[in-house]
Amino acid sequence: MSAQPAAAGSSPAHGRRFLAAWIVLSAILTPVVAFFLGPAIPPGNGSVEATGQVFDNEVLVAVSTPVCVFVVLFLGYALVSFRSRTAEIVDGPPLRGDMRIQIAWMIVTGATVLGLAAFGTYELLQGGAGGGQGPNAAFLPAGHNHALDVQVIGQQWEFTYRYPTFGGLETPQLVLPANTLIRLHVTSLDAVHSFWAYQLGVKADANPGTDNVVYVQTKGARSFDIRCAELCGLWHGYMFDTGQVVDQGRFTAWAKQQQTYFTPVARYLPPYATTYMPDPQRRAG
Amino acid sequence: MSATAVEIRPPVWRRLIGFNAITGVIFGIIGYYLGWFLGHHITGKSIAFFADIDQNDLSVLLGYFFGVSGFLIGLGFGVYPWARLRGYPPSLREKETQGTSRYFGLCTDHKVVGIQYLIGIGLFFFIGGLNAMLIRVELLRPASQVFPAGQYLTLVGMHGTMMMGMMTSGILGPFANYFVPLMIGARRMAFPRIESLTFWLLMAAGAVLTTTIFFGGFPTGWTGYEPLNSQANTGMDSYLVFFALVGVSMCLLGLNMLATIITMRAPGLTWSRLPIFCWAVVSTSILNLLAAPVLIAVLGMAILDRTAQTTFFNPQGGGSPYLYQNLFWVFGHPEVYILALPGMGIVLELLPVFARKPLWGYRLAVSGLLGVTLLSWLVWQHHLFVSGINSDLRPFYMLSTELISIPTGFTFLCGLMTLWRGQIRFTVPLLFCLAWFFNFLIGGLSGVFLSDVPSDVTTHGSFFSMAHFHYTIMGGLVFAFFAAIYYWSPKMFGYTLNERLGKIHFWVMFISFNSTFAPLFAVGFLGQPRRTVTYAHNLQFLNDWVSVSAFVLGLSMLVFLYNFVYSLLFARIRAPQNPWSSLSLEWQLPSPVPVHNFDRIPVITGDPYDYGNPSPGAIPATAPAGGSS
Amino acid sequence: MSEFAANETDYEVVEGEPPELLGRNLNSAGHLLASATAFFFLAFIFAYFYLRSLNNAGLWHPKHVTPPTTFGTLVMALTVLSAILVRLGLADQRAGRRSEWRLKAAVGLAAGVGVVVLQVVEWATMGFGPADGGYASVFFGWTAFNLLFIVGTLFWLQNLLATAIRYRNVPVGGKPTPGHASGDPGRPGHDVADPLSLVRPGLEALSFYWTFLAGLGVLAWVVLYLA
Repeated sequence: MSAQPAAAGSSPAHGRRFLAAWIVLSAILTPVVAFFLGPAIPPGNGSVEATGQVFDNEVLVAVSTPVCVFVVLFLGYALVSFRSRTAEIVDGPPLRGDMRIQIAWMIVTGATVLGLAAFGTYELLQGGAGGGQGPNAAFLPAGHNHALDVQVIGQQWEFTYRYPTFGGLETPQLVLPANTLIRLHVTSLDAVHSFWAYQLGVKADANPGTDNVVYVQTKGARSFDIRCAELCGLWHGYMFDTGQVVDQGRFTAWAKQQQTYFTPVARYLPPYATTYMPDPQRRAG
Repeated sequence: MSATAVEIRPPVWRRLIGFNAITGVIFGIIGYYLGWFLGHHITGKSIAFFADIDQNDLSVLLGYFFGVSGFLIGLGFGVYPWARLRGYPPSLREKETQGTSRYFGLCTDHKVVGIQYLIGIGLFFFIGGLNAMLIRVELLRPASQVFPAGQYLTLVGMHGTMMMGMMTSGILGPFANYFVPLMIGARRMAFPRIESLTFWLLMAAGAVLTTTIFFGGFPTGWTGYEPLNSQANTGMDSYLVFFALVGVSMCLLGLNMLATIITMRAPGLTWSRLPIFCWAVVSTSILNLLAAPVLIAVLGMAILDRTAQTTFFNPQGGGSPYLYQNLFWVFGHPEVYILALPGMGIVLELLPVFARKPLWGYRLAVSGLLGVTLLSWLVWQHHLFVSGINSDLRPFYMLSTELISIPTGFTFLCGLMTLWRGQIRFTVPLLFCLAWFFNFLIGGLSGVFLSDVPSDVTTHGSFFSMAHFHYTIMGGLVFAFFAAIYYWSPKMFGYTLNERLGKIHFWVMFISFNSTFAPLFAVGFLGQPRRTVTYAHNLQFLNDWVSVSAFVLGLSMLVFLYNFVYSLLFARIRAPQNPWSSLSLEWQLPSPVPVHNFDRIPVITGDPYDYGNPSPGAIPATAPAGGSS
Repeated sequence: MSEFAANETDYEVVEGEPPELLGRNLNSAGHLLASATAFFFLAFIFAYFYLRSLNNAGLWHPKHVTPPTTFGTLVMALTVLSAILVRLGLADQRAGRRSEWRLKAAVGLAAGVGVVVLQVVEWATMGFGPADGGYASVFFGWTAFNLLFIVGTLFWLQNLLATAIRYRNVPVGGKPTPGHASGDPGRPGHDVADPLSLVRPGLEALSFYWTFLAGLGVLAWVVLYLA
């Protein structure tokens, strides 16, 4: 394969110029993105899991920056330098591949991908990273034996919450103690819902007949938004709520008060269980 | 030769009677009412069903079954099996149809089917796009205002289902049907009747999905998750029948494409000389062939759940909703590559023509396409990272999902290096190809966030993932679709599309596309879930921005439509035989292509990317066909 | 030459294809169809093991759900018998023993119809319904869709047999009388000069696919009745 001599002579210059520009631009942009854009990415600092996710997003956005710069710069460079300036159609050099570039590309993308997967796995090992883990949680945070159990029951179209350590009381409000490891048991009575506590960095699907466990380590007192994140029927768009993280003392007081309210209706409710099997499904919106 | 074929054509009214689309629609309606009556007759005897007679799934499903059967029989698909049933060999009568009427019936000419697909898919693409516009109208305000919640969900579901279902054939249907036989030097597809069947099944499917509005719509979105699926009213049956028909169509399309490319390549067209677009068709067809049956099976189970009271997905009866989620995504993830791979193929096919260089790293590009095909089977549970399924397997699915970016990266490298040191000519098709790179880059990088479990916890089910797949599917498939139509319309119609309008279309579409979907990444990160009719007040500015951009995006489609109609019907500027000076085989044929494509089957001596070769003559040997004889 | 004016038919061209093309097409289609079928039933195999392992609400396999093994074995055996007969018929056809292959194919077809009848009788008499838990659901779904595939394949077999019977008096390599060949009275000539040439490639592909389906039938029998 014989290339046109004139074109072959200018090849290394283009390649080096592009690589230099890429390295310089990436070196400038990556720290900017990592340290200014990265920390601004939600979900914020509402729990240990949320903080971990922010860190995760920060790393991912930093790794993405050189990749993005590479492709965009390449397109820009190629379009400016290699556009045809003649009226008649002229062919370019018949380059059909370069094994060195291909191998280098494979090594770089392969290493990046494996690194990202390893990083994601490491982050996931820290207690499940706030994602639903099913009945047999594989990734347990330290001290999980002493976690506070709270059950989240999705139903068309609201979430209710049961506290097995407080007599299985059921309330429509989610109140959690601050600085505590919580074990949420997410389940559903009808369709598939998804419990999304945004600022806590928690998301877990609520499947009927399944106990979906998710761990979250709360930080200071705050409120957080709850939304259903899986299409569950007619009023899915209205299935939102606000939860509270409160100090330990206030939490205990609140729970006592709720238990008092709860006592009269307790006998109408099924006893606390990880899943509930209500009547066979009926038609609804 | 042509002198013998002079015939007196009967008057128009006489030609309307026979096997065509009109008969098909009439038979379809009759069939629907027949099935509907039958369903009521069967279930009317049962007290349990009698209680909610207006929610009679069996009646609706039988109606659809008989309706679709009637439609196909009316189109003439019954002739062949009826003849074979009696032992007669097939009649090739379909081949004889002439003139415009052959576009409205069973036609076994692959070029007619390609154009049928282009118009038919285009029609449903515009319906689906209109749904998207209505969704954006509703999201101008944080609270429900224009549409009630149920209608909104139906709009969302119809938009998603229409796009995900019909667009699976968005490139394979028009362009692969039209150009694969031309590129491989064949006169037809391996199974021309099946080819026509795939198109008409898709049209029947689209009609079925549209009729969901008569049954109250369906609330599940395009994923149709159980058990909501089993709860929903009869509008759900439209969804199930639609997707099952699309599945059959996809499966047959894949089978036909694979058989054609395997058995009907011209002499000398070895696998290493196959145009890269054909390789993309091969990999897509493998996914079509193998993933669609899983979809049909899972929808079959859902239909049985709704009619025969089986309990596949009902946890109270020994089933599991997880079964649906698993099986649906076993199909669903290959499905998104069914949408993405043809776009890669188009881009890699077009870049050498406009960079005037051979495709760089042909083998790497092919292995990239095949690698994606293989890996797409191993990643489905990344859709279920927070669902509680197999939580200990999440590291594996995280790894396999991120591994897909390696073969995808191959196609990027090949495409970019093809541009390197080329003689790039800025035509409209090239602009769409370059936009494809940008969009798919953003789509791919946002995919890394979704494949990473900790990050996925926030982004899953939010507008972030919605923006991600719009970047890959709309930014990938639809941009490649437009690149293909600007590139190939001189060959398909014999007329060139207006370049100036094409550039206006491109810039309006590219800018408004990014202006629509880039802010949705932020919206998703800020906590807005998908498919909700309400959202938080602080997100209104972003949502309004997105809505207005989306309307501009919709307008850009009208620019294209105007260009298409104006150039083909009014301006009618004859295109030269090979306006792009492409070396590919299809451009060596006259425009439009004669019915039998090639007078003599060409003998191929090289791949179609021999640009810049100082010793010409290695150009694939072709035999110009048609008018010369 | 305008597209709409292209009014010459191209029989010569279509007929000019290499004669082995139909065989190659049908052969690859048979294999592709088999792989698609495999993926279709993989969904049911997955459902079987998945629901069995979950046993939600303890309703995977209630006590009264006992599939009639005799029926199941009969269905499986008849499917296998039919597939073997078609295989033997193919060997006869290849060797030019025309009446022998027709007889074997006819018996095979009858056995296939027997499968359909037996399956329907089994559903009607077996004492549990589709609503009786996970196993019953998988049982009904799997057998019902399996039956659909079987009916489709039998239709294919019937087509080939009908062609062979209709042109049974045409000598090998000979051509039927004009007007008789196409089955389309309005047509002056015929499209396929030698209808019997359709039989061999069709039978080869069919035989492969039918054997494959019989294999799936054995698998269904093992999973649904024995496991």
